[in-house]
Amino acid sequence: MDAIRRSLLGQMARLSAGAALIPFSSLAQAGINQQPARREGDPTKRYGMLVDLRQCIGCQACTVSCHIENAAPLGQFRTTVSQYEVQHQESGELATFMLPRLCNHCENPPCVPVCPVEATYQQQDGIVVVDSDRCVGCAYCVNACPYDARFINQRTQTADKCTFCAHRLEVGLLPACVESCVGGARVIGDMRDPQSQISRMIYEHRDALMVLQPEKHTLPQVFYLGMDERFTTRPTAEPVALEVLDPHGQEMGYEFHH
Amino acid sequence: MNSTIELLAPRYDIAWYPWAVQYFFMIAVSYASLWLAAPALVFGKKAWLPTARLALIACVSTTLVAPVALLADLHQPLRFWHFYAYANSHSWMSIGSVVLPLYLVSVLGLAWLAWRPALQAQRSAPGLSGMLATWLSLGSGITPRALVAVVGLAALGLSSGIMLYTGAELAIVKARPLWNTVWLPPMLATTGFIAASGLVLVLNRVSGLCSQTAIRQMLYVLLVTCALAGLVAISWFLDGVNAHVGSVAAALESVRHSDSWRNTALWGGITGLALFAAVLLLLTRPTLRQPGVRGAPTSSQPALFAWAWLLGLVAIHMGWMFRWVVLMDVQHVARNSAGFHHYGIPAGSSGILGIVGTFGLWLAAILLIELFIPWRQAQQGGLIATPTHATQDASSTHSLTAKKGASSHV
Repeated sequence: MDAIRRSLLGQMARLSAGAALIPFSSLAQAGINQQPARREGDPTKRYGMLVDLRQCIGCQACTVSCHIENAAPLGQFRTTVSQYEVQHQESGELATFMLPRLCNHCENPPCVPVCPVEATYQQQDGIVVVDSDRCVGCAYCVNACPYDARFINQRTQTADKCTFCAHRLEVGLLPACVESCVGGARVIGDMRDPQSQISRMIYEHRDALMVLQPEKHTLPQVFYLGMDERFTTRPTAEPVALEVLDPHGQEMGYEFHH
Repeated sequence: MNSTIELLAPRYDIAWYPWAVQYFFMIAVSYASLWLAAPALVFGKKAWLPTARLALIACVSTTLVAPVALLADLHQPLRFWHFYAYANSHSWMSIGSVVLPLYLVSVLGLAWLAWRPALQAQRSAPGLSGMLATWLSLGSGITPRALVAVVGLAALGLSSGIMLYTGAELAIVKARPLWNTVWLPPMLATTGFIAASGLVLVLNRVSGLCSQTAIRQMLYVLLVTCALAGLVAISWFLDGVNAHVGSVAAALESVRHSDSWRNTALWGGITGLALFAAVLLLLTRPTLRQPGVRGAPTSSQPALFAWAWLLGLVAIHMGWMFRWVVLMDVQHVARNSAGFHHYGIPAGSSGILGIVGTFGLWLAAILLIELFIPWRQAQQGGLIATPTHATQDASSTHSLTAKKGASSHV
């Protein structure tokens, strides 16, 4: 009885404190910011990627080949491999952890409903693309993506992102990053086809697969095998130590230290 | 694993430039000053007329400049027509792109109606201002008070839409925990009112109107909005401290170890408290009796009111800095790599030039209004304003002359 009363009082307190905001929050969750209908692409397919971290050696071949294939401006990347130096708690042993990052082509992509002109949309095969002729460059999608997978292309002044190399998939080629991966760590395929390599691997490793930032409910479709759970969210590390500059002296990135 | 070093992280640029701060600041001052002008212009409360006149120029000037800043923040500004050709009802920004022009038209309509009687009276003035007044006043018919009220109500409704969409646009972004909270929209609104009251106080001093009534009213608005902003900030903070999961907790966690964020929070808190205390002090100081203006028995001038414009500057600073922290500093918090991204404000259009340019444009707008519009005689429609009307309004609100206002604290 007491417990019930306490909980009721707690609920009432919460209700009165936030009463003024209830109409607002319910409005924000209604209709607006829901996913618009998917369009174009093959409705019989759902592309996804599985990254086998056990095979990744951090050679950045994917970063370079993507950069060349998609002609991204210097210092801007559709995919990159984060590298971490980690130390074992007991033994003090050092190791390197690689984490390839790219667009997750989420099932619930937060970047799509925010676009004011529907320039970014999800195809029926799940690939999230940008119509750069329509994009107004408001950069709302860049802010809305929790994975930093989007950027404003300095040359086109429109939003840019990984497309799973849709132009290559269409003609039966593999994406540049998959093609160039020396360890075969990146596996792409149609997850609706039960016989595809990705479907078989997802079934086989279903208990070990992880996605990035699952708490955001974006339902990423890039799955990681051999992942440490502590890396699914933003890692804690030390402040900037050394800036990495391009040939023109522009900062491209930075290194951290202890 | 007890230590992690991220060896190489790409640089992620900020996506929204200081133009966004300027837009959010200008549009907030715009909608808040519209509400400050509403008691007199929409609801016919005569005592609020001096405030309404000042608030109306603040509102019109910021409403004209805000969309320019918004367009400039687009990387493809010439494609703005895509907003209407490919509208997306799922996007708060798209909804805003529909509300904003309607709001702009309603504000300009309200201002035209409020200024029309005075414009009609100015038609015989020599030179350009007389010509403009003839052209702008569109005939010599009466301006119905009801029409002013109706247009005013429409503007107030649309301004609520602006308040809602600018807040929601940020609050729905899950990718940035510091934005993703229901407390952000009310905080944007309250700090908007703080900045607008501050601007009215400053304009009251700079324009030489020096209305004591306006000062008192704005100090009361500041008192209430500072208290509300404080409550919202405390609620947000307690929400984050008490909940172990959730966006506010994540937001606090993301900046917990940053000295600059701690300093920013302290600065905001202390400035807010100081402003609240100073406003309270000004309002509770005893009233000094002075010889009345133009032979009136006595005129009361509360002590220290002549300094209220300084508090106005502090209030404007609060409103602007809050937006700077929310829109610029939050974008520096790295989402996937460790630490914070560094962003030096560039000199060009994506930095200082954008900030200075917007303020310059605003100054130009307000000077043009000052030059050609008899905004000091704005009223809720009615007959052509005559000099007698203006004097009556002035004496009934205990206005000081420009000279007196200036000398009182020199």
